[in-house]
Parts: sequence; structure tokens; C-alpha cells
Amino acid sequence: MRLVGSAITTAILILGFAAIAQQTGPGGSQPPAGSPPSESPPANGSQSQVDESALRYFASQGDTRRVNAEIARLRALYPNWTPPSDLSQLSAGGAAAAPDPIIERLWNLYREDRIAEVRAAIAERQTSDQNWKPPEELVTALETVEARRRLVNASDSGQWQTVLSVATEAPSLLTCTNVDVLWRVAEAFARTDRPARTRDVYTYLLTNCANPAERLATLQKALTLLPEQQVADLLQFERRAGETPDDFSSIRDELARRRVERASLDSKMTASAEDLAAVERLMRNTNEAGPVLILGWYNYHHGNPARALELFKTGLDRNGGAKAAEGYAMSLRALERLTDAEAFAYEWRERAPENMKIYLDIATALLSQDPPQRLEARVVARIVPVVTAQRFSNGAQALGWYSYNTQQIRTARDWFRTALGWKPEEEPSAYGLALSTQRLNERAAFNAIVAQWRNRSERIADLADGTGPGSGRRPAPDQPRAEMDAAPRAAVPRQVAVERVEVEQPLVRTEEGVRVRQTQARSTLGRSCAMTRNPTNLSGDAALTRGWCLMEINRPLEAVAAFDQAIATGSGRAREEAAYGKSLAYLRKNLTSEAAIAAAEAPQTRSRQVELGASILTQRALAAYRDKRYVETLLALGERARLVPEQNDLLLIRGWSYFNLGRYKDAEQVFRAVQRTGHSEEASIGLNAIQEATDQASQ
Amino acid sequence: MTRRVPRLAPFLPWLLAMLSLVMAPMAFSQSLAVQRLKIAGTVSSVDWEAYRSRFVEDSGRVVDTANGNISHSEGQGYGLLLALAASDRRSFEQIWSFTFTELLIRDDGLAVWKWDPGAKPRVTDRNNATDGDLLIAYALAKAGEVWQEPRYTTAAQKIARAIGKNTLGRSGRSLILLPGASGFGEGDRPDGPVVNLSYWVFETFPIMAALAPEYEWTRVWRDGVLLLQQATAGRVRLPADWLSLQSGLQPKPADGFPPEFGYNSLRIPLYLLRAGMTDLEWLRALKQRWSAENEGVAVVNVVTGQIRERLTDQGYAILHAALACALEGTSVPPALRTFEPSLYYPSTLYLLAKSLLGEKYPQCVSSAAP
Repeated sequence: MRLVGSAITTAILILGFAAIAQQTGPGGSQPPAGSPPSESPPANGSQSQVDESALRYFASQGDTRRVNAEIARLRALYPNWTPPSDLSQLSAGGAAAAPDPIIERLWNLYREDRIAEVRAAIAERQTSDQNWKPPEELVTALETVEARRRLVNASDSGQWQTVLSVATEAPSLLTCTNVDVLWRVAEAFARTDRPARTRDVYTYLLTNCANPAERLATLQKALTLLPEQQVADLLQFERRAGETPDDFSSIRDELARRRVERASLDSKMTASAEDLAAVERLMRNTNEAGPVLILGWYNYHHGNPARALELFKTGLDRNGGAKAAEGYAMSLRALERLTDAEAFAYEWRERAPENMKIYLDIATALLSQDPPQRLEARVVARIVPVVTAQRFSNGAQALGWYSYNTQQIRTARDWFRTALGWKPEEEPSAYGLALSTQRLNERAAFNAIVAQWRNRSERIADLADGTGPGSGRRPAPDQPRAEMDAAPRAAVPRQVAVERVEVEQPLVRTEEGVRVRQTQARSTLGRSCAMTRNPTNLSGDAALTRGWCLMEINRPLEAVAAFDQAIATGSGRAREEAAYGKSLAYLRKNLTSEAAIAAAEAPQTRSRQVELGASILTQRALAAYRDKRYVETLLALGERARLVPEQNDLLLIRGWSYFNLGRYKDAEQVFRAVQRTGHSEEASIGLNAIQEATDQASQ
Repeated sequence: MTRRVPRLAPFLPWLLAMLSLVMAPMAFSQSLAVQRLKIAGTVSSVDWEAYRSRFVEDSGRVVDTANGNISHSEGQGYGLLLALAASDRRSFEQIWSFTFTELLIRDDGLAVWKWDPGAKPRVTDRNNATDGDLLIAYALAKAGEVWQEPRYTTAAQKIARAIGKNTLGRSGRSLILLPGASGFGEGDRPDGPVVNLSYWVFETFPIMAALAPEYEWTRVWRDGVLLLQQATAGRVRLPADWLSLQSGLQPKPADGFPPEFGYNSLRIPLYLLRAGMTDLEWLRALKQRWSAENEGVAVVNVVTGQIRERLTDQGYAILHAALACALEGTSVPPALRTFEPSLYYPSTLYLLAKSLLGEKYPQCVSSAAP
């Protein structure tokens, strides 16, 4: 009965012992929990909570034999415990009372942890003697043991509310002799989202309990339940002096290890030199692969693949397994040792999904090298079945480009088709397929892929329209025809005619040249140059390669920047090439004057001068015609005609220019010439228009 | 029952519901005014000692000897009840000590149902079993009264409230007893809610109503009887142990359980008799079926009517004898008068039946009877 009041008070104290612990402060030895009422004030916080109730009872009965047995038992359980000094007084005081055999039996059962039997015996005795009451110490002891059992069972079954309610009702459990109970209560707080309470329990424990092993274990528990900062805060309770000083260095190391581990996977996070040193030390002091791998990843993600490679090698030697192999392969790749990387990763590919992934990535990179390299046949031969088995579309694409660049266009076509089959929405595969079917002149296949993709891919549409790198024949332009049907006035077809002839092959040769160079430069189309980046730190040759690559993925303005860089830094040969490229880039964007200026930036060979000049003048003529500046059109065409022969489509432009200037005789002459070469339809339209115009004029 | 034409089936639930509204007050004017069992002193010390020495360990653990020597909340509940019936306060305290420290650890105040001495941790399923909780609370309440022990009464009340709070569910207009606090409700499984009619330990409801009057125990009881009537309305006239109430008032065997009238449901007539609900027509039909001339006590497929297993142990045979005694005054055959404990479960049923016979039908077991 007398427990009740104090129990409630101490429960409140315990469950709110954040404040208490702070008041007590480190070094305070008095736990706030109430000690069992039968005990004298404790001399030592950690020892006061040993359950001495049985001992005291035997002493009070003057049973020396049992007292000694109990002292031996308690010593075995609690090595630091010393028997209370007041036992002899108890013995003297209690000798008067006649020993009650049942009470002795109850204590014996209690000592043997046969709690249900103690309860049963009490009940039995009370049945025969209504007025009989068990000693209060025994009842308290029983309640405490039962509470501990329920608390432990509840915690083992994850019933955290029960843990906390039992702890509240039995605060006498919350002492340094029951560190396990304190740990469980701390966990219950954590599992019910009260980490601050968890920290309070640990703080209490570290402030009050003396056993160094338990203190260290407390921090180990904290590591699993508390945020790292809170664990770090608990380190302040480390006792550096005294008989049994703490050694929390393993906790410090673990915190350092975790910080480095986090930074090891994030190139934007750096670990402190101190933390790195701690992990280095851990690495040296164990044969475990763990710390080695962490340092390996740290170096890998912080720009030191060479060191990472060494570390992952050590990791492999320490049986770091698949993870070490993954890091080793990735480091080799980062060091651009792709051939070695492929050979190594190949051996490990089956070990884990990550190893397979890195193998496929490395194989893809190997195939897609820039500039392209011929690989050993056996290397390609072993890549193929893996890519196939894994249905890895990037790999199939890379095999496509590899084949394409080694002039195995049919194989390339098949790989692109395969890649597209695996990932139907991959535009680069479709582009590769379009390009290779076009090269192979497989009209139907080409048209099919174009029809499917032209609205989604500008460069595929460009291929089809002949503005792209390929030289394929344009499919019939639907839209202009529709316009013609909708507005059948004489002036409109003229405009339409221009649209249709606009880029009909004036650039064929030059763009063919582009393609050859692009192919030589072996961009991986959207892989190596698609990423926007500043070309100013590239060398002349690299900038040149990038320029051609950008041309291939149809980003001419970025190509201009790359070519500029090549002109600024490259050799004479590179500068000439770059100026040429730059002109073509401008032509692609219909920026003819810029193209002309670019062409003059470096001396060009005669054939290129002709090629570029003709292209520039063609675009100039077409641009002038579009703007209805017919005199300029004729001037440009005239200039061009001095360089290269004028083909039919440009002759038609010339004809319509004469027509629009009212020079019907000249127009008629031109249209008739075109008519003789077989383009009778377009020519007839012109001739009819002249007829109509002259008829009107004569009326 | 074969006369019931299929097209009537859709109306059946409605019809039964209407009937229940009309009939219920009448029916329960009889059966709800139950004569409460005294229990204490109805099992002889010889019988109890035979049981206790076999199935109750010193730790207070009641051992299910046919089930890998595990323990469960139901067994602890039966153990408490039988210790009370034998007026063995010592064993009652012992069994309670184990129940309290090992099983009554759930956050919601119910008992975890399964405890395996070979596992670590020993609790291998932390869900509750509602019949176990009812039995424990009931035994504690009874013992608290008989022995004037407030510890028992307080504990009984806590459990009763927890049962009311966590295991009562709804199915249509019925208030049902879910077999566990989780896993059986409407949202817990596709065919939910799923119930087990043998978890309605009818005699406990008036006690629960006294312990936790804020819950509608009388309705749980009444709706349980209705459910039983529906579940026994089919051709075979036996309820499956596990019933799905998914389609409202028409119970059907639950998924994942054999569609059997099995070891669980065997207890239903005993519980009805113990609650004094002898006037259910189904009990007569069952008595007929269980008689030696017919199929006897057996595990039966409720769909096909086929017998899977005949149960001849004394503990099952006495169930028929108790029915025959209660319904027709038939004396219990001499072979069933002496307890011959075998396994935990039939031995438990035997003592529960014998306790009932001793208290309510002494004429069926008196030595003067033929």
C-alpha cells in the first residue's frame, strides 16, 4: 500500500526525467527512481538497486545459512555489489519473531524465479487463512518481477504502448540494475515517435549508471534509434577519468564512418579530413571490406578514380564481392581504360544486377568511343549475346552505330531495328534505322520509319526532306500540294514551286561531305555531344569533332560555337576544316551572309571554295526569291552559274523571276529549256502563265 | 430444407431480418433472461487434478498437447474457468500469473493468442483471439466475485473494455464479434468480415455487459444467434467454422478455410446449453444427427454433407450426452461418467460439459439414474 503514492510520483519523475537528469547533471549518482522502500539509502547509485529483499528477510530470520547463500547468489549476478552493512542489526532485531516456514518457502520460490508458484502459494495460504498477508517486501518484489516480465515480453512483441504503461506503473524498474529495461523503454519511446524521450532515457542512463560495458552498449543502441547528431551529443557523457573510464571511440568512429559513407555517394558532399582519417584507420585496423569500399566510393565520386581503383582492388582482395567489383569496373571506366573495364566487368556480370548493369554500360561506352575504334572481334562477339539476353536497347544502339561506322550498314540496320523493338520510343534507334535504311536505299523501310517518326523527330523529318545529313530523295510534300489545291491561282504555284525546289540538292554534295566527316568524327549521336556544354575548354581537334557531331544531330548554331573554338585554337588544317564546317552550319540555318563570312575565315581548297560558293549563292538566290526581290535572285543565280552548272530547279526559279519582272521572253526561253530536259509539268505551268499574262496584256 | 426454391434466396436475408425484428424480443425474453452459472464447485477435485496434472505446468501455462505443446489465450481462459469450477484458487492464481505476464501484453489490452515454448520470442502470433479474451475476462470476473478478489475484477473489466473497443464490428445491420482485432474485418480481406460462431461464448455476454456497459453486448449476443440460425439454414444444417459475411446476411464458408463444421463449431451447442439457450430448434436437429444411430459427432463438410472425421473421444461424446440430457432428460451413459483425460481439447470440453451437467442437470449424472 505504501508504494502507491510514491510509485505515482516517481513514475511522473521518471517519464519526465529529462529535467531531472539535467538537474542532476553528469556525475550525479542518485537516480530519480524510487528505491524499493525496504532498502536503506543507497551508498552507490549503481549498486543500490540490487534486489536485497530476500537477503534482508533471511537476515531478519537469523538464517545465516540462507543469508550466505543469497549473498553468494547476488555477488554472482552483480559483481560490483557489496552486502549491506546493516544485516547484523536486522538479524538481532528480528530474532524475536518466530520464523514463518511458508514465508521462507515463498522467498525461496521467488529466488528461483518461480513467480507463478509464489502467487499460487500466497493464494492458497489466504484461502485457509483469510487474515494472512504476505510480507509487503515480497509483494513489491513480485510486482516488480511481473512488471519486468510483461515489459520484456511486450517489447519482444513490439507492443510499445504496453512497455511504456508498465514502466509508468512500475518505476522501480527504471534503475541502473535494470539497464536492459531502460533500453527497452528508450526503444519504446523511439518506436512511438518520441525520440526526444529516447534521448532522455539514454541521458539518464549515461548520467547515473556506472557499468562501462552497459554505457558503451547504450550508445550502440542510440546509434540504431537516434539521429546521428543526438548520438554525437550523448558522447559528452563519456567519463575519461575514474576507475572505469569509458572508451567511446568506436562510437565516434562509427559516426565518422557514416558521414563518410554518405559523402561517398554524393559528389557534392565532402567529408572532413578527420572523418576520412577515421575511416582510413578503420580500414587499417580490420580485414573487413566495408571501410575500404566506403573510401573507394568516396574517391570515385570525388574526382580520384585512380585512388578509387586501388581501394576497390583492396576491397576485392578482402572479399568485398560484387560491390567491390562494381566500383573497380566503374573506376576503370572513369580512367578511360574501357578495354580493361570491359574485360573485368565481363567476368563479374552475373554476380548481381548492378554488375550486369555496369558491364552493359561499359560495353556500350566501348562500342561508342569517340573517335570510333575497331574492337577485337572476340570482344564484340561476347558483348552481343549479353546485350541480346538482357534486351539492353542502349547496347543494341551502340552496336548499331559501331556497325554503321565500320561500314556494316545491314548489321547496323538490324541492330537499330532490334533496339527499337526493345524500346519502341527511343528516337535515336529510329534515327539510326532511318539513316541505315536510307544508306541501303531501302525505300519502303525508310518511308515506314519516317512516316512513324517525322512528327516526333525533327532530324528524321529532315532526313526525309533532304535537309539532313542523308541525301535521300524527298518524299512528296503533302502540304504544299494541299495549298495548291486550295488556292489554284497562278501566283501561288510559283511560290510553291520554290518551296519544293528550295533545297533540292544544291547542298547535296556539301552535306554528303558533312556526313562523311560526321561519320569519321564518329559522334555517338546524342551521346557524346548532345549534352550542352561550353566548348571553350576544348582543344582544336576536339572542338572540331564536336562541331561535326553537333551538325549530325542538327544543332548548327551550337556547331558554329564549336567550330569557332576550332578556328581559334586549331592547326591550319583544323582551322580550314572548321571554317568550312561553320559555313555549312550557317547554310543549314539559311544564314547566307554569315556563311560567306565564315568561308573566308580560313583559306579553303579550290573545290571547297566552289562547293561553298555555290551553296551560299543558291541560298542567297532562294532567299531573295522568297522575298520577291527578283533582280537580286537573278544576280545570285548568275554568279552561281559561273561556278557550277545550273540545275533544273534553279532554272525554274530563274524562269519565274523573269516572269515576275515581266520579262516574258526570257522566261519563256528558260521554261522551254526546262521542258526539253523532261520537267515538262512545272515548265508547262510557267509557259501557260506567260500565255495568260501576254493574252491579258494584249487585250 | 430442400423445399427452399432458389428464386427465393435473394429474399431470404430480408425475410430473416424482418423476422428477427418481430421474433427477437420474444425469443430473448426467454433466453436473455439467462440463469447465470455458478461454476465454482461444479468440478470434482479428482477430475480437476487429473486435468491439472496433465495440462497445467507449474508456471501456470495450459498446454495444448495436440498442438506441439503450444499455449493460447483460449486455453488459459479454459484453465481459469475450470480452476474456478474446481474451487482451486491456487491453480487459478498460477494460471492467471502466466496469462498476465506472458499474454496480456498487447497495446490494446487484449491477450496475444499464441505462445510457443520452442520459439524466441515465445509469442509467435501477436494477434488476439476474441474467444480467448472473453473466456479470460469471464473467468476473472466470476473468480473476483466468488473469492472477493478486486485484482481479478479490475483485470476482467480492463479486458472487457478492450474487447468492446477492438473486436466488435458491423455487418449490415448486425453487430458482430470479430475473431481478432485485426485481419478479419470488412477491409482486411476480400471476403471480410469473417467470423467464427464458436467465438460467441454466450454465457459471457451478460458478464461483459456488467463489466463494460458502454458496449452493446446484448446485441452482439442476439445477432450471433441470428447468424447461427442463418448459417444452419442450409441443406446440411451445419455452420462452417469460418464464415464470410461479405454478402450481408447470408453467411458462406470463408476463403482459405475448409468449408467444415469442425473442432471450432463443436463447442457451439455446449455454449448454448451453458447459457441456458436450450430452445433453439437447431439443437434438436443436432442432437438427432449426433446420436449413435445417425452419424455421431464428426467433422462434416458443410457443402457436401460428407464426414471427414468421426470424433469418438469422451470429450466429444459427452457433447451429445449433454444435449440429450438437456433436451430430453436422458441420463448420461455410465461410460462417460468417469473422466479419462486424453488430449487437452476434448478433456477441456469434457470438464466444461460435466461442470454444466453437475450444476444444472444433476439428475442426468446422479448415481441413482439408470
